Amino acid sequence: MKVFIDPPNSMILFDLVERFGHEPLSSMAVIQEKVDNIEVDMPPMNVTLDDVVKGLKYAGVEVPSGIRGRLALWGPMIEAADAAIIIEDPPFSFGCVGCDRSNELTKYLLHRRGIPLLTVAYPETAEQAKTLVASVKEFLAGLGASA
Amino acid sequence: MSGARETRIFMISPDSMITTDVLARAVHTMADGVSVKETCYGCLAEADPEVMAGVVRKVRESYGNQVFTKRRGYPAGDPRRCRAQHGTRPGYSQLEAEWECLPLIQHALDEIDAGDEKYTAPAQRKPLPVSELKKICEESE
Repeated sequence: MKVFIDPPNSMILFDLVERFGHEPLSSMAVIQEKVDNIEVDMPPMNVTLDDVVKGLKYAGVEVPSGIRGRLALWGPMIEAADAAIIIEDPPFSFGCVGCDRSNELTKYLLHRRGIPLLTVAYPETAEQAKTLVASVKEFLAGLGASA
Repeated sequence: MSGARETRIFMISPDSMITTDVLARAVHTMADGVSVKETCYGCLAEADPEVMAGVVRKVRESYGNQVFTKRRGYPAGDPRRCRAQHGTRPGYSQLEAEWECLPLIQHALDEIDAGDEKYTAPAQRKPLPVSELKKICEESE
């Protein structure tokens, strides 16, 4: 099954989802598509007009362009996801640095889709790490076999 | 998604005794057609997606929970990202934050592999009832 991870560039979540037999939907794959196929200088910092239009589907025109740009990448993945895992209350440097509004909107879109959703706290201790890993394993096992 | 190449970051957990040199050499020998670059955190590897799937499986078999991996959007050595050519490293703070957290994840995975899957479920956050909010407001007046 396709599992959206939030933060979408998280190595810990990407690795765990893959380790437990599912397909993680991450920002790296969509960025690779732009790096390989589109002649823009430095994706995802530079975008095309199509990206801006795509972003409008998920964030209104009055929303700052950075949020719309991010959601142009993440929105289609949220639509394609069969389930999602969110890490909450991470330190500042974990995830999409400096854009909490994008993160809020991403969580809102995930909740609105109504797909199976697991929210786990960022681990600071061994016990919290065990909770994260064990609950992710339990959640992914409950989704069934990977398609 | 693009199927022409798959670039992977392999990151060694700080609690592991594996060195980046050992990991890079091992990944090099795991399949034909793999391009490997040793880095400060482990290595970058690049190959066809089918070959890379085999490499990831072999790395997990050989090093278990000591090495973590994720995909990378840019190819290895891309001038826009490579430090040798003064490229920017916008994803580096994320890698650093996760590197610090990896020992916790490594030991949690070790415990689960050993059969101990018990964990304490965190308390679920619930919305504050209106009556409770009114009480707090009245007390603070």
